[in-house]
Amino acid sequence: MNKSNFLHYTITNFIFSIIVLNIFHFNTFAVEPDEFLIDKKQESRARDISKKIRCLVCQNQSIDDSEAQLAKDLRSIIRVKISEGKKDEEIYKFLTDRYGDFILLNPPIKMSTYALWFLPFIFSLMGIMTIFRHNYKAKKKIG
Amino acid sequence: MSKKIFLLLVFAFFFVIIIFFYLLIIERDPSNLPSQLIEKEVPIFNSKLLFNDEKFISTNEFKNNITLVNFFATWCAPCREEHKYIIELSKDSSIKIIGINYKDNPNKAIVWLKELKNPYSKVITDPKGKIAIDWGVYGIPETFLISSKGIIKYKHVGPINKIVYRKFKKKISNLKKK
Repeated sequence: MNKSNFLHYTITNFIFSIIVLNIFHFNTFAVEPDEFLIDKKQESRARDISKKIRCLVCQNQSIDDSEAQLAKDLRSIIRVKISEGKKDEEIYKFLTDRYGDFILLNPPIKMSTYALWFLPFIFSLMGIMTIFRHNYKAKKKIG
Repeated sequence: MSKKIFLLLVFAFFFVIIIFFYLLIIERDPSNLPSQLIEKEVPIFNSKLLFNDEKFISTNEFKNNITLVNFFATWCAPCREEHKYIIELSKDSSIKIIGINYKDNPNKAIVWLKELKNPYSKVITDPKGKIAIDWGVYGIPETFLISSKGIIKYKHVGPINKIVYRKFKKKISNLKKK
């Protein structure tokens, strides 16, 4: 096998495995079949909410990905609430009333989290400004 | 002028670094999970009692005494370990201890309490863990301290050991003074 053939072979193999992994990836979630709601719309809502809820006893995992018992209990409570006709906001409120904002994987934007949300933007802006200033000065020197 | 801005930037950068390292150095227990329920009223829940299948209605329960609520199960090894401290706490007759038997087999729980002694004034069953979710429980054992007005004052996640026992004792005596 010459060099270019080998490279071609490796690349095709690589692309093929990515495609295969992506197809079968969908079969590997933690939610068990007996948990599913019959109504497909409701079920997809339940999955969406579950993806945004932290599994409290795991390391940075959503309850949708986790097989922990508490995650399973919370998933089933979310599904019960949905079939009772509760809105998404009401379900989030139910959970944060009990477990706090910590249960949300995305912290909400409010007074106490402004620094968390906006400092990165401020720092990158400051960085960009510094670079521009530096370039401007360097150009001036040359010119 | 630009030098001033540069100095300010450097200062801000080091300020952030210092805060970062400060947070690393100070003693923080990562298992110290935030609790939403502190200073809030006890959740309302109804269930059955373990020993005689009677109904339990939470609204009748937390108004007159300082109460401890302890989530436990027979399958939980740390619960067995902390049990002696709960018995010790139950010797104070002015406080009431309510046990919530979490996801357990009632018969096993009765045998378990006979073997280790029963410090609880009432034992409530929570077969599906729904009451635990209302109390924001992460995993058992967990123990809550409730004032005589029905407000949750303190929560401990994990087994009670000597240090935690003393903490509870202190907090109970502080509550009594009020």
